[in-house]
Amino acid sequence: MVVVDAAGGGGRQDEESRRLGFALTVPAQMLVLFIAAFPLLMQAYISLTDWSPLDGIGWWRAWELWNGFANYSDLATDNRFWGALGRTIIVMAICVPAEFLLGFGLAILFTGNFVGRRFFYSVLLMPMMVVPAVAGYMFFMLFQSGGPVNDILSAIIGSPVQIAWLSDPDLALFAVIASDIWQWTPLMFLILLAGLLGVPEDQLKAATLLGASWWQRFVTIVLPRMKTIIVIALAIRVIENFKVFDTFYIMTGGGPGVATETISIFIYKVTTQELVWGYVAAIGLTILIVLSVVAGVAIKYMSAQRREA
Amino acid sequence: MADITFRNVTKRYGETIAVRNTSFTIENNEFFCFFGPPLSGKSTILRLILGLETPDEGEILIGGQPVNGVSPAARNVAMVFQKLALFPHMTARDNVRFPLVERKQPEAQIVARVAEVAEKLHIGHILHKPPAQLSGGERQRVAIARALVRDPAAYLMDDPISALDARLREETRVELKRIQRELGKTLIYVTHDQEEAMSIADRMAILEEGAVSQVGTPVEIYDGPANEYVARLLGSPMMNIVPALLDASRNSFEAAGGAIRLPAGVVPEETSNLGIRPENLKVAPWTDRGEGQPVTVFEVEPLGGHTVVTLEAGGQMLKALMRGQPQIAADSLVALTCSPEQMHFFGTSGETLAR
Amino acid sequence: MTAIHLEGLVKRFGDFTALRAMDLEIRDGEFMALLGPSGCGKSTTMNMIAGMEAPTQGRILFDDRDMASVPMGQRGVGFVFQNYAIFTHMTVRQNLAYGLKMRGMPRAEIDKRVGAVAELLQLTSLLDRPSAKLSVNILQRLAIGRSAIIEPAIFLLDEPLSNVDAAFRAVMRTELRHLQHAFRQTMVYVTHDQLEAMTMADRIAVMDHGVLQQVGTPLEVYNNPANVFVARFIGSPGMNLLKGRLADSDRGPVVDLGQLGATPPLPDALAAAARTAGAEEVFYCFRPEEISIAREGRGLAMPVTFVERIGARTIVHLGEGEETAKAVFDNDVGLSAGETAVISANEETVRLFDAASGQAIGSA
Repeated sequence: MVVVDAAGGGGRQDEESRRLGFALTVPAQMLVLFIAAFPLLMQAYISLTDWSPLDGIGWWRAWELWNGFANYSDLATDNRFWGALGRTIIVMAICVPAEFLLGFGLAILFTGNFVGRRFFYSVLLMPMMVVPAVAGYMFFMLFQSGGPVNDILSAIIGSPVQIAWLSDPDLALFAVIASDIWQWTPLMFLILLAGLLGVPEDQLKAATLLGASWWQRFVTIVLPRMKTIIVIALAIRVIENFKVFDTFYIMTGGGPGVATETISIFIYKVTTQELVWGYVAAIGLTILIVLSVVAGVAIKYMSAQRREA
Repeated sequence: MADITFRNVTKRYGETIAVRNTSFTIENNEFFCFFGPPLSGKSTILRLILGLETPDEGEILIGGQPVNGVSPAARNVAMVFQKLALFPHMTARDNVRFPLVERKQPEAQIVARVAEVAEKLHIGHILHKPPAQLSGGERQRVAIARALVRDPAAYLMDDPISALDARLREETRVELKRIQRELGKTLIYVTHDQEEAMSIADRMAILEEGAVSQVGTPVEIYDGPANEYVARLLGSPMMNIVPALLDASRNSFEAAGGAIRLPAGVVPEETSNLGIRPENLKVAPWTDRGEGQPVTVFEVEPLGGHTVVTLEAGGQMLKALMRGQPQIAADSLVALTCSPEQMHFFGTSGETLAR
Repeated sequence: MTAIHLEGLVKRFGDFTALRAMDLEIRDGEFMALLGPSGCGKSTTMNMIAGMEAPTQGRILFDDRDMASVPMGQRGVGFVFQNYAIFTHMTVRQNLAYGLKMRGMPRAEIDKRVGAVAELLQLTSLLDRPSAKLSVNILQRLAIGRSAIIEPAIFLLDEPLSNVDAAFRAVMRTELRHLQHAFRQTMVYVTHDQLEAMTMADRIAVMDHGVLQQVGTPLEVYNNPANVFVARFIGSPGMNLLKGRLADSDRGPVVDLGQLGATPPLPDALAAAARTAGAEEVFYCFRPEEISIAREGRGLAMPVTFVERIGARTIVHLGEGEETAKAVFDNDVGLSAGETAVISANEETVRLFDAASGQAIGSA
């Protein structure tokens, strides 16, 4: 058996064998394309109809209930949808920056050495490993009126506190945001720590020797070098946060009223309770397009970075 | 038999020509070195021999048999790995056994073969140790043993000791050469260090941009470079190559602003450049009775056993390698001499001219 | 321009002592090489001078100022890293301007100085190029320029030539030395390559296992190594060392090399020094370049085990086991492996070392 060091040469294959290789993978690529594209096409198709599983006809016959772009125009005027979207964006606008700043702060802390670093490192990563549904249940318990959060507040203030966190429309959103930050700051921390450790130490030393202060080093060396990874971390969290469902649903079921109803919960309810699948398909597709734009911008940015580097 | 022949082999990667219409023969049991600057095609040639690449044109023969369509596994040539070569969790013995176990050979045969190779490489006494407990040289031997255990016709090494520091390299190259002599197998070796190549090769091929410039023993090539490129590549300090001008009377050639002057008779007519190895350039203090032109000492670098003297002559820098620690000061004037027999004459396209 | 004094410098990392009581004076404007194998403490020494690491004991003085309380950014030290540590996300100009910008210097003044340094280092045409894809020699110049622009009194270079291939080293070495002439700073250069140290430095500090072995000019260190380590380390190949006992012969004091027989009589001064030192077991040492060789005659008879020819140079490997030597010649001596050679060392270059302490006996 002969194996060779990748560094040993160009590693490029013959043009001919590359073409053959491509030909051989065509069936597999078609399959992948089909798997990826089929549900999308199906969704697009249904979104243009009034089809519901209760109609008693198969989805492929949905054209009988064709309604053109009615679902999309309904969506445009659906206040519950816009409310859910607005809430989702508020949650995102608070959670993602909070997770980013907290995660970055912690990551910077963890680039240094301190007693118990390994221990705290493990502790810090734990929330991420908790099943979101379980996390939802934990926070549900924490924020009960007789729950630990109130107990702690009582102890601090000295008089009994009885805040109804989850049934007060204003506070419920705060509670779910807290749960999200708790669960996902560790992911930010982990990604950003990896990024920080990737900043060449020599460059930091060189900057110090050239007279740069901590903050100057951070702004001129660390941030520029972490651009790509910051964009990745933010994109992951924006997309994930947009889709958040299980934790919130278990904590509040989207309530009280619609106070914590995010897009995912909204879709879930419309799907399971109202069974208007054509409408749901339209919502789903709209959101997919929005998220694709976010991801697209991030990817474009990153490839531009790579070309520069 | 393990002679390896390239017949007009060309290998392209898209637009780039990595190996250009190259022909040579590596004889059975010789230590053959490929030497050239980065990207001169050294590693591609190794990959062609190993069968990891197929030539676009031409033919490769191993032991007289064409191997163009033969897979790497069936070629019976082995690559000796250097970095991370040995599996750290296995003893030296298990490392050496590995290729045979992999091929599901009968146990008795494996034991016998390992013993045989171990004896040749003098590693019998360390086979029970894990690689971490071996010295660098021992590890090298074990790595070679692992390559040899399946009895390849030839083994290949790609710049194996470039990562070692200077002193260790000097010792390791001698060791490699000894091992090859004892084993008597064809070793094909790639290096970018001219001193290493000259020290260990029985014969070597000098590569320039994918083509072989010259093949021969190191001494042959050093003393008789085929062209300026080869002349510059071997030797440290580099050969001095200066333009030679036929003077108005057409009686003599002069170079380096007149510091070197030769009667036209000893210089081939078409000469455009003169080459003088630094060790052949003699430097003596300038006296008024001296012939020719004095030159200025630009810099003196004592190396202990030798001294490199850089001279400025007619706007050109020449280097002379002198024995010992001569008392020469920078900025002083000296006279240069060099016997015509030790000079090299190059034509307009860099080719060496016959005297 | 600043002189550096190291006084009783010690550095420990946990149980490991990287540097033991180092005393060294680096003169104003001098090019000093710290030379030794990896792990000898040379890089630790340099890092302490730069302030990247704090000494466990001892003092570092720049002229008369104790540096203990001066942080690394304020020592006025230029540092060229082994990998150059160029800020690859910036252009050449931004790299050069970095130190001045961090000091909040006005834009116009920065531009003026960057222009001047770029001119000196021939980087002017590259100023607005991204620094990520430059060749090594340009990176080296850029790294030097970036440090030089803040006008440090001291320049520290950490093996800047180690990732350059052999052919190119000579070019960069010359360039570096010319730069030192241009900037005239005190330079400290760390290297494991004795040839590099010999050709570049005004003086060399040879180190091993955290201990300073010898300080001197390249030729002092080459001609009169202070101990066995330096004798072996300096030179290519290093000095030959043969173990023996001092003995008397009818021709004067000699070294009895056991199986190899006795050496020729020692020079008078060396013999006297050996007698005074009272050493019994000694190393009889001579340079590979300072040997005459023959097939027979007077001298040490040793088997030729290997002959290396490197261009015009021939290295003859002699002897086996403990008793080995190398001889270097500028021509082919016509010997081949298996023959026996009789060698004699040039008497003036013979040195003796006490085998017990490893220290040089007398000084020639």
